[in-house]
Amino acid sequence: MNVAVRTGTVHALVGENGAGKSTLMKILYGMQRPDEGTISIDGTQADLSTPADAIAVGIGMVHQHFMLADNLTVLENVVLGDEPRGGGGIDFKAARAKIRDISARYGLGVEPDRLVDELGVGERQRVEILKVLFRGARILILDEPTAVLVPQEVDELFGNLRELKSEGLTILFISHKLDEVLSVADDITVMRRGTTVASVSPGDVTARQLAELMVGSALPVPELRESTVTDTPVLEVDGLTVTAPDGRTVLEEMSFTINAGEVLGIAGVEGNGQAELVEALMGIRPLQAGRIALQGKDITKLSTRKRRDAGVGYIPEDRHRQGVLLEATLWENRILGHQTRAPSVRGLLLNRAGARADTQRIVDEYDVRTPNIDVLAGSLSGGNQQKLIVGREMSGNPVLLIASHPTRGVDVGAQAAIWEQIRKARAEHLAVLLISADLDELIGMSDSLAVILRGRLVASYDPKAVTPEELGSAMTGAGEGT
Amino acid sequence: MSASGLAVGVQETVAPPRRRASPMIYFLLAIAALLVVSLVRVLTGAGNLTSSGTVAAALTAAVPIALAGLAGLWSERAGVINIGLEGMMVLGTFGAGLFGWQWGPWAGVLAGVVLGAFGGLIHAIATVTFGVDHIISGVAITLAAPGLTLFLAKLYFTDAPGGGQKQSPPIEDVPHVTIPGLSSVLGDIEQQQWFFVSDLAGLLRGLTTDVSLLTLLAVVLFFATAYVLWRTAFGLRLRSCGEAPHAAESLGVNVYKYKYAAITMSGALAGLGGAILAVASSQFRDGQTGGRGYIGLASMIFGNWRPGGVAAGAGLFGYTDAMQLRGEGAVHALLLLLGIALLVLAVVQLRAKRYVVAGVATVIGVLFILWFALTDQVPPELVSAAPYVVTLLVLSLAAQRLRVPKWIGRTHRRGEGG
Repeated sequence: MNVAVRTGTVHALVGENGAGKSTLMKILYGMQRPDEGTISIDGTQADLSTPADAIAVGIGMVHQHFMLADNLTVLENVVLGDEPRGGGGIDFKAARAKIRDISARYGLGVEPDRLVDELGVGERQRVEILKVLFRGARILILDEPTAVLVPQEVDELFGNLRELKSEGLTILFISHKLDEVLSVADDITVMRRGTTVASVSPGDVTARQLAELMVGSALPVPELRESTVTDTPVLEVDGLTVTAPDGRTVLEEMSFTINAGEVLGIAGVEGNGQAELVEALMGIRPLQAGRIALQGKDITKLSTRKRRDAGVGYIPEDRHRQGVLLEATLWENRILGHQTRAPSVRGLLLNRAGARADTQRIVDEYDVRTPNIDVLAGSLSGGNQQKLIVGREMSGNPVLLIASHPTRGVDVGAQAAIWEQIRKARAEHLAVLLISADLDELIGMSDSLAVILRGRLVASYDPKAVTPEELGSAMTGAGEGT
Repeated sequence: MSASGLAVGVQETVAPPRRRASPMIYFLLAIAALLVVSLVRVLTGAGNLTSSGTVAAALTAAVPIALAGLAGLWSERAGVINIGLEGMMVLGTFGAGLFGWQWGPWAGVLAGVVLGAFGGLIHAIATVTFGVDHIISGVAITLAAPGLTLFLAKLYFTDAPGGGQKQSPPIEDVPHVTIPGLSSVLGDIEQQQWFFVSDLAGLLRGLTTDVSLLTLLAVVLFFATAYVLWRTAFGLRLRSCGEAPHAAESLGVNVYKYKYAAITMSGALAGLGGAILAVASSQFRDGQTGGRGYIGLASMIFGNWRPGGVAAGAGLFGYTDAMQLRGEGAVHALLLLLGIALLVLAVVQLRAKRYVVAGVATVIGVLFILWFALTDQVPPELVSAAPYVVTLLVLSLAAQRLRVPKWIGRTHRRGEGG
């Protein structure tokens, strides 16, 4: 891993989750020791073993999650740990003057006597930057600084960064938001799996090229190959009506059929009944009226477990709430939802060996990146957790897969893998119900598309002929479908 | 973080400027309070409401509570709940008893401080190093201390002259000081029974006559605490440990060290409070603290984790405690005073747009005034409960926006910050 940062520039470090950006940054700030290699600042080799060392050589870090005490004033937060002394106490006058001076010099607009509690997110970030400058840092590391900001605040931050740069400071900017990187950086270093793969300047690349450098291959495109749709109905839903506990109708007279080998995409603005539809199909939410049949058998009255046993796989929308137990190991997570079926059980008891062996199979087949199957699910990245869930739900020969936002919050690599699994499921003649907020994903991955609006299916489209704009207007009720 | 962050980002960032009450306001408030008290004195004829004797007794009663509150302040500002104050006070009373009767009151006070600090250290080891729940550790100390001291008392005091199984031999008192001249002049004015002037004289005389050196020590400790915690680097770092330990750690502050310092100091102050209690009542007795540690804790909470608030709460308790000792007549006059005080609080809360609190204060205030008007005396059973009831009632209804140290009660592990 090599990176060279020029003085007086904004240098962006980009890479996927888990590419090693955070580790590098921790090493630079002395929070972690490198096993090998050296760090040099202005030609002198530096040994950074604590944050204090890093501060001493002029490296300052602005953490993604602000390190501020809300009940203390801006001044107190800034001087903490490096208080100017005078007359037996803190020299508040000198501190105030210095803060005002730095604030004015770099256009930060920070008022020393305000309580941090009263400040907005953008202002807090400027306090963090000031904190670093107060300690005389000449090199600033910003860890995903835009993650918590609204667009206007991002513009302000970039204005501040240009100001800092013009004063000769060096900024190391860590991000994975490529358009932002392109707009603010002078140099870009791309990281992948712990090494630097490219150094480019923003004028020479597009966001797409940068993304491909990050992933290491062409960006995945959601698309289906030849049609595999059969005319064997797998899921038949007829007149489904669901009311919320407060009596409001959330799903009304919904009817559709998914055939074997077909992906039905449901498009809709969030909160129009998608979650209720999925829960009704899974037997989590009681029906007011209607009938659900799986492979011709009525499953309306069956419990969630019986439905799962009958061959329904389910990728939930919120994997932390419903998909995995973060505090349990991977193989324990493998058992969830399959706690009545081989290979997880034998008789009345859990079959540890069987479950573990099958977890290993999922990890291998679905490319779940993990040191072993005994780690806690919470230690995996979102994409790897999702791949584990997909693998689990595809075990036990399901006939129907309900995928609710399957690629939400996962990195590009995992996204491609999950799409591939859905294609594979379709080729094996599963019926797939795909719910997503990503219109490109819906259009590319569906054999047929329906739009849900206020609990009703209001339109259906041929995904080969529809544009995201048309779908978008149908989702808001502005357009008319065919 | 991101969710709350977004919410904050969407709201406009214009916050109302904070009102900072100046010392002048507090001075005027004190004058107004004294006016009300003298009015009540004139109306009820309970002369000892503001007599110098009452004030002196109030001061004596207030000091142990105030030190307990101050002890809680040190600990909680560093983020550790110290419900073990009561136990540390008990250790202080015992230390004073054991050393006080043999080597004099100052040795006793020192022993109380050391024993209290020892209790604090145990709390620190449990909560900081081992991450034990703060409440559990504190309750354990509060339960263990009286048992331990009772055992030791039986061991050491039973055969001592003037001692017993549950009490120590008598301890000498420390010297008391009086501002010469002033005391007699004020005494003369106090005798005149003039409205307000005599009350003011009584108050001042009580505060300047025959004051124990230990009381002066407590006063000095209040100012010292305010200075150390709010004006020095040590204090800022200590408070940052109670607000955002991860932030402090990222700036090179040794959080464990400051927490240890804070809790040990807390124990020492609680021990001092206990020792003063024992010295003032001339001996150690089992059960002597009588919940003063908890009252101190309450006055610290309603005093918004500030020395001034602690002092006010403790003063209120001391005053009602002194009234209680003056007998039932004084407590009866106290009903009217309390009623008026609650109505004043109701107006204050109404202006702060806190209607529920204002309503509750009004109802209770009116009830107390009615109680005063319709009866001639307070049932004796209630008299001894008066200080506790009055303190908690007034403090809880007077509390404005309380600002709890943000990381309080939570365990901090080194290097956990992200």
